[in-house]
Amino acid sequence: MAKVKPAPLSPSTVIGGYRIIRKVAAGGFGVVYLATDPEGQQVAIKEYLPASLTARAPGELLPQVQPEKLSLYRLGLKSFFEEGRSLAQISHPSVVSVLNFFRENETVYMVMNYLEGASLQDFIITARDQKQQKVFRESTIRSLYDEILRGLRIVHQHKMLHLDIKPANIFITDDNRSVLIDFGAAREVLSKEGNFIRPMYTPGFAAPEMYRRDAAMGPWTDIYAIGACIYACMQGYPPNEAPQRLEKDRIAIALARLRGIYSDNLIEVVEWCMALDPLSRPQSVFALQKELSREGERRYTKLTVTEKVRMQFDTMVADTKKSVKSVSGMGGKLK
Amino acid sequence: MKFSVFQISRKGGRGSNEDRMGYCYTRNSALFLLADGMGGHPEGEVAAQMALQVMTAKFQQEAKTDIEDVRGFLSSAVLMAHRQILSYAAEKAMLDTPRTTVVAALIQGDSVSWVHCGDSRLYMVRDGEMLARTRDHSYMEQRQNEIPVMKSGEPVNRNILFTCLGSPANPVFDIAGPVNLQQGDKILLCSDGLWSTLSDVEIIYDLGLKPVAQAVPDLVEKALDKAGDGSDNVTVIAMEWETPDAYAPTHGTVSTDSINDGVFASTVQAGGLDTLVDDLDDEAIERSIAEINEAIRRTAARRNS
Repeated sequence: MAKVKPAPLSPSTVIGGYRIIRKVAAGGFGVVYLATDPEGQQVAIKEYLPASLTARAPGELLPQVQPEKLSLYRLGLKSFFEEGRSLAQISHPSVVSVLNFFRENETVYMVMNYLEGASLQDFIITARDQKQQKVFRESTIRSLYDEILRGLRIVHQHKMLHLDIKPANIFITDDNRSVLIDFGAAREVLSKEGNFIRPMYTPGFAAPEMYRRDAAMGPWTDIYAIGACIYACMQGYPPNEAPQRLEKDRIAIALARLRGIYSDNLIEVVEWCMALDPLSRPQSVFALQKELSREGERRYTKLTVTEKVRMQFDTMVADTKKSVKSVSGMGGKLK
Repeated sequence: MKFSVFQISRKGGRGSNEDRMGYCYTRNSALFLLADGMGGHPEGEVAAQMALQVMTAKFQQEAKTDIEDVRGFLSSAVLMAHRQILSYAAEKAMLDTPRTTVVAALIQGDSVSWVHCGDSRLYMVRDGEMLARTRDHSYMEQRQNEIPVMKSGEPVNRNILFTCLGSPANPVFDIAGPVNLQQGDKILLCSDGLWSTLSDVEIIYDLGLKPVAQAVPDLVEKALDKAGDGSDNVTVIAMEWETPDAYAPTHGTVSTDSINDGVFASTVQAGGLDTLVDDLDDEAIERSIAEINEAIRRTAARRNS
């Protein structure tokens, strides 16, 4: 039963003195527009418009909320406010900044800096398609995450967790800054089982505790995601998702393949961040920053011949299993 | 599953009643709850309400089929409630956290298990005799003879609780059961307003003798009378276990045999997050927006200075 998504505001609509230019993104909890302020400056405006709770016909301004969904709508509104409240207190070049917050059309709007550039995800895809041995240079990775971690540290200092750090939410601006985007509200989704709100997660980047209903999340949860992002910058692909890792953890093998390409220290940092046990990870951004900024000569330990052979063997076994599977799958179809 | 149940909460001489009670059930299990929000800390009634709602929500979620690990359920439900209270306090940036006691009895099939934290009690009566009673988490109940002494040299108030939900320290709680239920067994949950005035003997006497629909109001009335004007709030919920179809159903009897699988009935609104947003009316929305804009201005001023 596909529900029609609420329509975004049409271009040229003026809200709160801002003129909409176009929709740039839409998530579960709202729509982001590119707009201009009265001085003609470009801004990004996020409209609170949860797709599952509201309806809006094209050309209309006011979203309709079904009465039975009103309390959830309010609940979401609350986390939208929380996002605004937290971001409003933060002024850091690596954290998207909020410029204004206003109410109109019976919903609320958050005005943010408009960033020009591309997401880290776009960069990873471009880089990996070049099929080089390295996706990113190690020095690039280190300076990129140095910036991001400075921002994240401030976020955590404001008692806020991002909870959806992933390459798509790390923005690289045209003037070469990296900025954390998409906080809070967008991640609260309604679980189908009842009136429980829990964070939505992105497979591969979400720590194992995010899959559990009753687990303590903390800075270590964001740190897991940072580890996964660094991993993606090295491999070109996201790591296996946490539940899969709990069954059979291939991260160590995948990282071992990168030995000799990236320094031992960087590989160890990723393993540390991505420990399945939250307590085994760096417990604060500061602890991670310390490790990541450690000066000194980088050591590279290449794989030994035996290790290489063993790995190739592993891959062969895995591939054979896959092909056996697909063959039997075809057999099933023929019946 | 068949039981009769009766609950009542009366305000004593106090300004407000911070006691909460309720029960909920599915076809094959039932949960009885009572929480007493603590004075001396802010918003005790919120803590008590939250404890009930969170535990009810967890019950609703897990009791769709039989709860496999009953003790595990009780302990995680209590901890969830505790955390919910703490996060509520954190969210409101409260200087002190709201606190509450809790006692809960979970019936599944034909046995009962219970958990308690603080000094709200459970009494279990069979054939007019006390089969079990919880031991309060107060110094008086836990160490009858050894009263700790404070630094100042004064003895600690013997009635003081050393644990509850919502305090910064993790709650201490006790789980008992499962105990097999027999026809006519009665289980009573009460706040300290009842037992501080009436002795165990008095409570057991009434409970053993009368049906719950009579025993509960009588007991509450007696407690209020005896305590006089300064009475604490008195809250009691009691149930009597009936063997299905042994007798014609009496008034106030709940039979879960006729309800379908997956049906959930409750006197407590399940949730835990809902109450937090009920207050988000127009005024609150305007206030939030004003606060956020004020924060934006402050941050911008800091940036430019």
